[in-house]
Amino acid sequence: MKTTAPRFEFRMFGLDLDPYEQRIKEISEKEKTRKMSSIYFLTAGNTTNNLKIREGVMDIKELEQTYKGLEQWNPFLVGKFPLKADVIRTVVFPAMGIESPVFEREEYTLEQLLNEVICTDPDLAVAYVKKTRHAYTVNKCITEIAEITVNGAFLKTICIEAEDPERVLKARKKLGIDPDTENVNYPLALKRVMGLAELPEHWK
Amino acid sequence: MAKEKLSIGEVSKPRFEFRTFGRDFDETAYLMSRLSVPVPKKVWERFSEEIYILSKTNDVNNTKIRDGKMDIKTFVKEVDGLEQWNPLMKGKFPIKAETLKKEVFPAFKVEMPALNKAEYSLDEFLGIIKDHPDLQAVKVEKERYGYMVNDTICEYAVVYINGASVVTVNSESTEIGDIKKTIKDLELEGVENINYLQAIKRVIGWIDKPLAN
Repeated sequence: MKTTAPRFEFRMFGLDLDPYEQRIKEISEKEKTRKMSSIYFLTAGNTTNNLKIREGVMDIKELEQTYKGLEQWNPFLVGKFPLKADVIRTVVFPAMGIESPVFEREEYTLEQLLNEVICTDPDLAVAYVKKTRHAYTVNKCITEIAEITVNGAFLKTICIEAEDPERVLKARKKLGIDPDTENVNYPLALKRVMGLAELPEHWK
Repeated sequence: MAKEKLSIGEVSKPRFEFRTFGRDFDETAYLMSRLSVPVPKKVWERFSEEIYILSKTNDVNNTKIRDGKMDIKTFVKEVDGLEQWNPLMKGKFPIKAETLKKEVFPAFKVEMPALNKAEYSLDEFLGIIKDHPDLQAVKVEKERYGYMVNDTICEYAVVYINGASVVTVNSESTEIGDIKKTIKDLELEGVENINYLQAIKRVIGWIDKPLAN
């Protein structure tokens, strides 16, 4: 089931994003602030699917295409917990790119899935992410500054997204972000913090 | 028996330690700074970059590498919720395969990998760690601010674990009573004692438990 129109996205993570934050605040009024908690399921080898649970609902974003370094993620709703074992076997595990285990239950609550399936699988890692997201608009793009904690450790992130990728590129330029700045999506950032992906020199 | 006078930054008898990790210890840092006696300038601010080697199979040996030197500490005992750790081995890179076989990998308590060379550089050693399913190298950068409260060595530090920041505070001494008084004075009673291994394992998702705040 499609939830929203897929947007092209540029995202960066770090602890010192002050110049870009300042620029966003000069251009746009803050529109709203939202606090939320999410659980991400991560595997080292999976780079094309983003699995997330928020408020008891799982959704998966699939990397649809890239355009000049921007990423377009296509979201689809998996469903609300409890989830049928059949859905976990045929949708969730294939999206994570690992073999599905044998399921002992017909359906799983989130706690059962975490404790009995995810946490016992050596190929899977879980990130508990708390986000405080501040919404702005730059060049008609949804623009966000967020403070997050990943399993308790703090990071900041800035994101620019829109259906039209050229609009995102222009917004990025307007904020003074170097076009060579690495575009880092959530799963990659989480995997770097958790040691599931290599740390590049510039990462901090 | 007379108390040993502790000096920050110098070797002493094995110390007991209270340490915790979280996001916000501003109040503790303030109390620490006000209750501290003057400390040597060399410990006012210290910055270091380290690599911790984490093992999925044990929590009793703490291995870190700083400035090309490996340092393994081993857990000795816990008294009144305070932990005592003793040095187990120190080594320098390049490190002999014999040392890895007899001292380092046994401390990790994991299956011994094949070691076909006589000695290993740091990069080669990290390559072995990367290939081992039960081991992980974690980059840890520290900004440490030293204090001395109730004759215990105290520290407030911002720690970057693979680039994400957490805050830690600690009190350590050979004297358990002094640490307990310091915990009370710093208003840390009831706060969980979390050592570096535990904190890093929680952040990288190996232990499903939150930090202290």
